[in-house]
Amino acid sequence: MSGGHDYPHESTGVETRKLGMWVFLSTEILFFGTLITTFMIFKGRDFPGMKLTDVYDIPFTSVSSFVLLMSSLTMVLAHNALENEDQEKTRVWLLATAMLGSVFLAGQIYEFTEFYHKGFELSTNIFSSTFYVLTGFHGLHVFIGVVFLIGLWIIGQRQKGLSLDSGFNLEFIALYWHFVDIVWIVLFTVVYLI
Amino acid sequence: MSDNHREHPTPKKYVQIAIFLGVLTAIEVALYYTEDIVGVFTDPLLIFLAIGKYVVVVGWFMHLRFENKMVNRFFAGGMILAVILFAIVMIERAAGDYFN
Repeated sequence: MSGGHDYPHESTGVETRKLGMWVFLSTEILFFGTLITTFMIFKGRDFPGMKLTDVYDIPFTSVSSFVLLMSSLTMVLAHNALENEDQEKTRVWLLATAMLGSVFLAGQIYEFTEFYHKGFELSTNIFSSTFYVLTGFHGLHVFIGVVFLIGLWIIGQRQKGLSLDSGFNLEFIALYWHFVDIVWIVLFTVVYLI
Repeated sequence: MSDNHREHPTPKKYVQIAIFLGVLTAIEVALYYTEDIVGVFTDPLLIFLAIGKYVVVVGWFMHLRFENKMVNRFFAGGMILAVILFAIVMIERAAGDYFN
């Protein structure tokens, strides 16, 4: 998410920190790829106990998915506002993104609680374990993202404001946030719809 | 050298992209409820829509289509390795089901 900057002093032509962020995201793809693969090994097989299809609520999860998708919009608008050096709008969009992320997390906590009450628990069978590990790790990533966003918002409240060139960088947090969103795009289809 | 000189989208364009993503999500949910009508095409269509949403978010929101080729290669590398891993395990699972 470059603001049109060039880094001729870097032999790669890319800012090293940004390249590092993309490499990190690449490793995260492998991390979630492994969890999704493990989940798919057990999906569709018969296990004792409650099944996921007996407990899930597609309309509810669809709304959660839409909320997370829209948080990607508010995040990119925050980045765009900072590129235009509009600190006020940047803070507003950052806070909106953190709130939408929190709504998604609240929805996931509610969903997990409902599943537990209906008997689909972490230890119900190996399939339920893979489900909770996969979606739980995604939730943890969303939580970390919300903490980063609130941290950025607090820094933005200071007189100096936020910058794309130094410090705790909004651009990298935005990349992380969009990554969390694309992971959910895959999970929503693989775990709930197929 | 960097080749990321293409202009980034405007806020209006970002909103249009988000609406498009919302519409794709609505189609996904509709497909889930019309599985009896759509039949065997449901799963391929759902996968196609998910890939479409993925590409739009990565390309436009993460600005990958405006980025340096090296960045693209790193991201694609992780994707390719994950897909290979997934394919190997799924083939192994299918073979196990077939022979057992």
